[in-house]
Amino acid sequence: MTMTQEPAALIGKDLSDDLAAASLALARKFHAGATLWVVSPQWEPHAHHVAVEFVHPVIMGKRALPSVALVDPDPVAQARVATRPGDVIIAVASAADPRVVDLMRRAPAWGAQTIWIGFGARPAAGSADHVLWVESDDPMVPATGRFVLMYHLLWELTHVCFEHPGLLTMADDGGRDCTDEVCVTCSDEGRLGEVVMAPESEVSPALVRTATGEEAVDVTLVGPVEPGDLLLVHAGAALTRLDDVTGAAS
Amino acid sequence: MKFVDEFRDPAAARGLVRSITRLAGDDVFKFMEVCGGHTHTIYRHGIEHILPPGIELVHGPGCPVCVIPMGRVDDAMWLAEQPGVIFTTFGDMMRVPGSRGSLLDAKARGADTRFVYSPLDALKIAVDNPDSHVVFFAVGFETTAPSTAVTLVRAKQLGLRNFSVFCNHVTIVPPIRAILESPDLRLSGFLGPGHVSTVVGTRPYRFVPEVYGKPLVVAGFEPLDILATVHMLLQQIRDGRCEVENQYGRVVREEGNVAALRLLAETMTLRPHFEWRGLGFISQSALKINDGYADFDAEVRFSMPGIRVADPKACQCGEVLKGVIKPWECKVFGTACTPETPIGTCMVSPEGACAAYYNFGRMHREAADMIGATASV
Ligand code: SF4
Repeated sequence: MTMTQEPAALIGKDLSDDLAAASLALARKFHAGATLWVVSPQWEPHAHHVAVEFVHPVIMGKRALPSVALVDPDPVAQARVATRPGDVIIAVASAADPRVVDLMRRAPAWGAQTIWIGFGARPAAGSADHVLWVESDDPMVPATGRFVLMYHLLWELTHVCFEHPGLLTMADDGGRDCTDEVCVTCSDEGRLGEVVMAPESEVSPALVRTATGEEAVDVTLVGPVEPGDLLLVHAGAALTRLDDVTGAAS
Repeated sequence: MKFVDEFRDPAAARGLVRSITRLAGDDVFKFMEVCGGHTHTIYRHGIEHILPPGIELVHGPGCPVCVIPMGRVDDAMWLAEQPGVIFTTFGDMMRVPGSRGSLLDAKARGADTRFVYSPLDALKIAVDNPDSHVVFFAVGFETTAPSTAVTLVRAKQLGLRNFSVFCNHVTIVPPIRAILESPDLRLSGFLGPGHVSTVVGTRPYRFVPEVYGKPLVVAGFEPLDILATVHMLLQQIRDGRCEVENQYGRVVREEGNVAALRLLAETMTLRPHFEWRGLGFISQSALKINDGYADFDAEVRFSMPGIRVADPKACQCGEVLKGVIKPWECKVFGTACTPETPIGTCMVSPEGACAAYYNFGRMHREAADMIGATASV
């Protein structure tokens, strides 16, 4: 790494908090058996770079963390096949890349956590679980710059978290009493699902992928569906199709 | 801001808290979230403790399990104990206390009561057990009622004779109106229900600003959504606006789900009045099954006792549901009434205000008291 500025000048207080939180989340996911999938459709060398860093141990004797670059021209299709519930997807991309916007939107339906690294205009709030963003950078310089500093820090801090096994066994909620049993009705529950197979007949359900696996979902209330459609599922029925609706948490 | 680091997109959350703190200044605001899912998010993520001290979140009657009166639970137990009946319901209804115990107690006494995830699962049990009569205990707001409507239509298509629904679906607008009419409360605005609004849309809430002069913002369920909603409410107040806005635009449309509303109208109709636990009778606040589907109406097919039962004397669920008192202000909270031994329904479901506070809130409040913390940015 060739850095011309002190890291503190490159990574401000807020961003360092976010990096720490993202590293802890990533370490917990690896600890639970996750694979890291990395995409960077605009700047492919970053995808390879991140994957290579995680897969080789930071210091002799440390864990190699399973990490793979997805460089197919259609990262959504490739990630859909690759990810399992509990995995993590990192994207190094601008907020305007429609392939990454789509990928981030679908990842919760696959049960994958997301980290989005980029620069310039930020993505809509809540677009990813962790948004590690800098004001500016030159993304065409694969070996220098803030992106590179950021994912190196992410990789190293992830290993730092492994030094504290107590942190890894805590629940994702930071170790507070987890009573995360949720009542279907009273929680007004709605889960994101992606259609895998359209219904065979008017009265049969669609096969839908959600964060917990595949399930049969009645789609009477949303009309004909096709594979890839995103649905909001409640009590065995789809209530709405997300593609019909625009907007995000603002 | 420890809690914020655990939110989705903590950077965005941090920015929102700063902006909320600026907008709120030293003024006092009291916002009610009507939905149990929001209550759960607020307690689970300690949102009350990252907001400035002048902003109070009041928990409303948005848990449909919590508002089912004891007499209806007794009727459900009576149904479950009828010979040849397989009684099905969502998990949380099993623990709601009636005057003779809960459905779990009925199960222990030998009744065939089963959890289902969807009313369509209950229908499948009916298809698989032609010699039994399967009753589905339907509870929930307009989010859940469409699944029941689909199930009724399917039951009719299949010509099933051994399936019926004990319908206790409630509607969201009448309790909001009842709360606005209550002299006990002075609210600054509402966090509107999220998934209910995918079905009913945002139009039914227009009376809240137009008649009662209170802003309402339909909210999503992530901590970030709650913060964004509080921000939108404050912004309206600071701009001198008062309207219905939709923070959950990625899911909720203004017109709702027209197909679902049509199916609800085909299968169900409003009851003239319905008793809500703690809130009393509210007119046109619940749904019953239409005459065209009477063959699947458990209230038509069985002669249920239908006896009204008063709430236990110690129970202050009504005040909690109206947001008049906080859960910990109830005399039996955490002593006689706990999630293991609930006296009132608010302690049963994890989204009930008392259970949510018991499970998550105590710790945040104690921690905040201990460190004298308020919103620190
Ligand atoms: S503590 Fe129990 S009795 Fe008191 S309001 Fe809460 S649920 Fe009702």
